[in-house]
Amino acid sequence: MQDGSVNDLLQASKIQDWDPSAMLNNLSFLGQKIHQLQDLVYLIIGRKGQVLGRPDELLVQQQQLVTADLTSIIVQLISTAGSLLPSVKQTLSAATTSLGQCGEFGGVVFPSSAQGLNDGVQPQNAGGSKVSELPNSVDITSNNGNEQSNHIIEEHELKDEEDAEEGENLLPGTYEILQLEKEEILAPHTHFCTICGKGFKRDANLRMHMRGHGDEYKTPGALAKPTKESSSEPTIIKRYSCPYAGCKRNKDHKKFQPLKTILCVKNHYKRTHCDKSYICSRCNTKKFSVIADLKTHEKHCGKDKWLCSCGTTFSRKDKLFGHITLFQGHTPAIPSDEIKAAPAGTSDGATNKVGSVNFNLSYVSSESEVQSSSMDIKGGIDDAVGYFSPLSFDTCNFGGFHEFPRPPFDDSESSFAFLLSRSCNYSQKSGEE
Amino acid sequence: MLSFQSSKNVLSLAEDLLFRIYELLAAESDRKSFRLVCREFRRIDSLTRRHLRVIRIEFLPILLRKYPRLQSLDLSACPRIDDGVVSLLLTRVGRGSNSPSLGHWAWGLKSLVLSRATGLRFSGLEMLTRACPCLESVDVSYCCGFGDREAAALSSAVGLRELNMDKCLQLTDVGLAKIAVGCSKLEKLSLKWCMEITDLGIDLLCKKCVDLKYLDVSYLKVTNESLHSIASLLKLEVLGLMACPLIDDVGLQFIERGCPSLKVIDVSRCEGVSSSGLIYVVRGHRNLLELNAGYCLSELSTALLHQMKNLNHLEVIRIDGARISETSFQVISANCKSLVEIGLSKCVGVTNMGIMRLVSACINLRVLNLTCCHSITDTAISAIAYSCRSLVCLKVESCNMITEKGLCQLGSFCLLLEEIDLTDCCGVNDKGLEYLSRCSELSCLKLGLCTNISNKGLSYIGSNCLKIHELDLYRCTGIGDDGLEALSNGCKKLRKLNLSYCNAVSDRGLAYIGRLEELSDLEMRALHKITGVGLEAVAVGCKKLADLDMKHCEKVGDSGFWALAYYSKNLRQINLSYCGISDMALCMVMGNLSRLQEAKLVHLSNSTVEGVELALRACCARIKKVKLFAPLRFMLSSEILEILHARGCIIRWD
Repeated sequence: MQDGSVNDLLQASKIQDWDPSAMLNNLSFLGQKIHQLQDLVYLIIGRKGQVLGRPDELLVQQQQLVTADLTSIIVQLISTAGSLLPSVKQTLSAATTSLGQCGEFGGVVFPSSAQGLNDGVQPQNAGGSKVSELPNSVDITSNNGNEQSNHIIEEHELKDEEDAEEGENLLPGTYEILQLEKEEILAPHTHFCTICGKGFKRDANLRMHMRGHGDEYKTPGALAKPTKESSSEPTIIKRYSCPYAGCKRNKDHKKFQPLKTILCVKNHYKRTHCDKSYICSRCNTKKFSVIADLKTHEKHCGKDKWLCSCGTTFSRKDKLFGHITLFQGHTPAIPSDEIKAAPAGTSDGATNKVGSVNFNLSYVSSESEVQSSSMDIKGGIDDAVGYFSPLSFDTCNFGGFHEFPRPPFDDSESSFAFLLSRSCNYSQKSGEE
Repeated sequence: MLSFQSSKNVLSLAEDLLFRIYELLAAESDRKSFRLVCREFRRIDSLTRRHLRVIRIEFLPILLRKYPRLQSLDLSACPRIDDGVVSLLLTRVGRGSNSPSLGHWAWGLKSLVLSRATGLRFSGLEMLTRACPCLESVDVSYCCGFGDREAAALSSAVGLRELNMDKCLQLTDVGLAKIAVGCSKLEKLSLKWCMEITDLGIDLLCKKCVDLKYLDVSYLKVTNESLHSIASLLKLEVLGLMACPLIDDVGLQFIERGCPSLKVIDVSRCEGVSSSGLIYVVRGHRNLLELNAGYCLSELSTALLHQMKNLNHLEVIRIDGARISETSFQVISANCKSLVEIGLSKCVGVTNMGIMRLVSACINLRVLNLTCCHSITDTAISAIAYSCRSLVCLKVESCNMITEKGLCQLGSFCLLLEEIDLTDCCGVNDKGLEYLSRCSELSCLKLGLCTNISNKGLSYIGSNCLKIHELDLYRCTGIGDDGLEALSNGCKKLRKLNLSYCNAVSDRGLAYIGRLEELSDLEMRALHKITGVGLEAVAVGCKKLADLDMKHCEKVGDSGFWALAYYSKNLRQINLSYCGISDMALCMVMGNLSRLQEAKLVHLSNSTVEGVELALRACCARIKKVKLFAPLRFMLSSEILEILHARGCIIRWD
């Protein structure tokens, strides 16, 4: 039983439904395997410590070896567990990683409900378990045909490409690393005509171009999109490295994070290692190295600028307020052009028109000193008292006006003349200024 | 000889004793008398004075020099305050000056009232906040030009604790954020009618100003999100949510769990709030002192009543407009024993029995509002009078069944009564007023539409209620000149008087009015008998007149308006609509009255377009609000309209 292959185990599980003695056997088998697994993990730790300093091909090879060993043990564990609990079999595929991790603790505890198990394990899977060769284990544990398993593999890969971005956790060595040269990355075209040498951005455009070079390129086969041959055989995942030494995206970096597609490489290289040559024509401040970024920015540039006193801009008000909440002392900035416009537009205009006193000088801008403004005012206004006195009906000129006991009605004519003359003066003044 | 000695004695008092005497003078008029005694007394006054309310801006520089130790300056009555004035005050009168005697008036200033200073912009505010480092309280309410830049200028007053920004219509979340970040010590903030403020601004405010004790967001379009933020304020005691249309019971649930110090809440006129929302509030805050829930409850439900049993400290409750049952009164009076004020205006179901149950236990009641509770009679009033001996204010407008019997009880027991509103109570007659006049503390009496009272009734008031300062005789057609004579003989402290549509009043009556030196507010619409002679008497006599409404006084001729222009220097608001004022007189009134802020000039039969234009030119620097005949919009020169607009004057076209 110990040497029994996975197939035997599977057979057994198929024939007998649930047998206590068989279960005991299986459990002891599991125990042994777990110990083996434990040893292997120790081995990995030991090796990592040894080769930490020199990252070379040897390390990669060793790692690959360890991974392969691990995988086989896990596969056996899974199948054993599957025979123990036949009802859980169908959902075991999802539990593989958990088994792999729990191996050390010498036992596997399954939740009573299969659904619960599934739910509980999947996040761990996504969160990046150490085991990358998931497809294989699925292949064996599920008692289905190869074709279906492959289907699952493909799905999984697709999901990987869509979901995983920054935090993609592929084990080193489980994928092929490609590194394009700087010139290649920055080349405007990536598809070149083998006959005339003309470059194209897209392969489809190249194929369309090729039609001009002869009838053989016009066949439906030549024009069709080249199909992926890799669908049947397991593909090696391709990842890209940035050629810039010291970059986190460079394969020699300690915490290397590979780039997923050529487009990612191009955008990454331009954004991070190239000059930002595209300047927004609206704000003349924001610079971009990828033209698509410029276009995205230009869509939003100028409308609803939410500016913080620290200079950071936000497209949305709530984002600005969130920022202000977070940072001590930051306040929303009021656009400067408004500040410049207001005094000139309203106040100065008004004072000039009223023409009473030239106190437009007293509208000091926020920057200037109080002292300087006082100088201005002294120049502008002859008499502060005159300024404070009731407008145009000067108390000094018409002292009699204010003495209550004096019956004023007898000479209303003259006082009105005064009023008229003053008001005429008024309109002349306002006309002049 | 004797008088000489006594005066010598007073003058020889030590300075500190004089200070102590001065501090005991509460009334402004007494202080005025004090400082007029001699130079030394005036010096005491100028050194002791902390608060100054300036009525005419032209005296401001002198006053600021005179009172170097001001802590509180109220400029709300100076419409002309603007950036230029501020600059002058700070540079010529302030610390920028070379002369030491000009003093540092701004240095010690703690409180500044700039309400309605529409001419003040950010540069002026910036100068002010920079010059006043101790500023703790600022009132910029009704400054319609106050926006984000002004808020930014104000936010440099880091010590600010109280800020009133009511009706600063241009203030947005950005300005509020400036204030919230700059003035983090803020304890009291009022944002009524700042319509641009949203949840974002309130949220930021609640995160930055955690010391807030008083927050008023009435009339804002804020949602439950804001209540969620507000609930985190640990020190909040007073929360005003009046007429916030977007908040509802869900939001009040946040309040139930938050604001542990809440004492006062106002959710009146909140359309979305129902009694279940109030249950949340009441359940979460057993120590509530004041609950304002007018016009948001359709009914005082039993569930809410059940929760209210726990509000043992409740002092004020207002549930205007709700349906209320007799048993509810029982529950309230049995549990809320410390109630001081109850508002039941326009409540349905208020009966004599209900009121009797209520007052049986709430004997500390001081304010009771029963406006439009039509079914109450003298029985209820008697019960109130008998139980609530410390009643100060009673409002029974439109309670038609009240007669002299009820007033007799009030006059017998409620001797502390200061304010009573008997508007539209046609059961009130001269006999009733005689009983009521026993309440000698009465200061505010509203008798509008009481057509059964005559001069005789008013004479009782005039001879007994000497402390009256507000009297409303709107459409009391039985009142004539003799009544006013009695009034003017006794009620010397009268400040506010409404004589509109008292048709019998003639020039002789107005001559009596002219004897009321304290009168500041006179409404006398449609007095068809009065002429220029009467108006002249008022203008000459009532020197403090600030608000005059004489719409439809068609017989008043130019001589009256001339007098007004010469004598009523303190006039701030005037309504001359439908008056026969001539161009000349209009120009004089508008130009010569240097305090005038608001004028209603509709349908002036004897005035021309040119006259109005000239009048507007004469007052354009200070006028803040003017109502004009709509067709004039296209007849007046665009120049004057622009000037008015630029000066922050609001024009209403009618």
